[in-house]
Amino acid sequence: MREGALQIEELVKRYPTGVEALRGVSLEIGPGELFGLLGPNGAGKSTLIHCTTGLAQPTAGSIRVFGHDAINDYGAARQAVGLAPQELNLDWFLTVEETLDYHAGYFGMPKRERRERTRELLETFSLTEKRDERTRTLSGGMKRRLILARAMMHRPRLLILDEPTAGVDVELRLELWHYVQRINQEGTTILLTTHYLEEAEQLCDRIAFINEGQIVGEGTSGELAARYGVANLEDAYLALVGRKELSRSHIEVTAS
Amino acid sequence: MSARQIRFSTLWRREVNRFMKIKKQTLGAPLLETFLYIMVFGAALGSRIKHLHGIDYILFVIPGLIMMAFSTNAFANNSSSILQQKFQGAIQDQLSSPASPGELLLAFSLGGFMRGLTVATLTFVVSAVLVGLPVDHLLVLVPSLFLVGFFFSQLGVLTGVRAEQFDDVAFVQTFVLQPLIFLGGVFYSAALLPQPFETLTRFDPIYYMINLVRYGFVGFTEVSIPLSLLALTGATAALFLVNLRLFTSGYKLRA
Repeated sequence: MREGALQIEELVKRYPTGVEALRGVSLEIGPGELFGLLGPNGAGKSTLIHCTTGLAQPTAGSIRVFGHDAINDYGAARQAVGLAPQELNLDWFLTVEETLDYHAGYFGMPKRERRERTRELLETFSLTEKRDERTRTLSGGMKRRLILARAMMHRPRLLILDEPTAGVDVELRLELWHYVQRINQEGTTILLTTHYLEEAEQLCDRIAFINEGQIVGEGTSGELAARYGVANLEDAYLALVGRKELSRSHIEVTAS
Repeated sequence: MSARQIRFSTLWRREVNRFMKIKKQTLGAPLLETFLYIMVFGAALGSRIKHLHGIDYILFVIPGLIMMAFSTNAFANNSSSILQQKFQGAIQDQLSSPASPGELLLAFSLGGFMRGLTVATLTFVVSAVLVGLPVDHLLVLVPSLFLVGFFFSQLGVLTGVRAEQFDDVAFVQTFVLQPLIFLGGVFYSAALLPQPFETLTRFDPIYYMINLVRYGFVGFTEVSIPLSLLALTGATAALFLVNLRLFTSGYKLRA
């Protein structure tokens, strides 16, 4: 059997407040896949990501990253994962270049390799001219680029992108799409969460819907639409969140 | 260098880099504060008091000031560094790395330790040049200062991890540490205090730390050196274990 890039079984996360953010999630992403995770705000997407990367501790269930248990073998599991979080969580005290260099250092990359990799990613993400600037002086778009570059610094085999295009302009969004597709073709497995359905449709091989802490549908966008008996992914999503009346086809019919 | 060594040195370097980037606040201000104390208590008051237990008053005060500089800076650095990173979310970068809880804890601790050591060393060098501060018992002084620095580094880490707002850090610093340090005998000898204050002073753990450092420099103490060293070692180890437990459980660091 092929080793999965990410294998999640019966994952439960209950916060001390009693809120159950994940209620028995099972998910498998194959190596080299570009997988989309869609769901409304508060559905459990970020909690699932946090459990995978060690930022949250699962209450029950298991997570394996390329065969490494995310709890008992967390070092190897985290080494394989790169996380570009939704929040712009940059260290204000560091420059752009230091941000990349320190991150790679946290993952044990030797100095010479760090230097080369930093140069390469600064170039790829058009950040070379900003290399000596403190992160807090960057624009929102630049911060987003830097967060993505940081996630890529240690050459992760699984890249997790938590709403990477939220609030970025069209140009940067398309740039990011091209980059994501390119590194996926080069072999990096990608887990993408997004609120832009066309983004998921265009980029992802498979998509899962998550709602109220449970996976409620999984497959290609065509399969998901068929499952909900609708024409496209957007309508399937609206069916999931119980807002079918917002369907564009419905609005068009009403308008006519 | 192994991957683990690179990881640890980077984590630690980040902490030192942080306070070196804001030197005016993290090194300049505490140095100025220490020298103001030396001026006021040493030069101004010292000219009236002259000697305490047969030691020049200024030489009696400076060891306490060095200990105070080491401890407050070690504490302030770690508590604010951790809280700031929690606020920014930047701490997630370290927490999602393969670093173990022990590596993270030691790296955070060493940041404050280095800042405290830097301020204390500069104060010592200047004091040695200006007033000829002696070092009578190096073998007591070095482990005492090391333990004091490490104890307050741990306390800073604990406060930073537990804190949810800057007020929480300020509370510990202003209402707990400051009174304990000032009433621990930095500027005077507890033997001079009337009862019940003399006895109360003996319940202040910082009183023993000041005596250890003072003994290391000028050879005077009001407490047992071996017992104080033993108690400080125990307290530091206990605090380290508490912090290690918090880092391992992810308390207020991992959701």
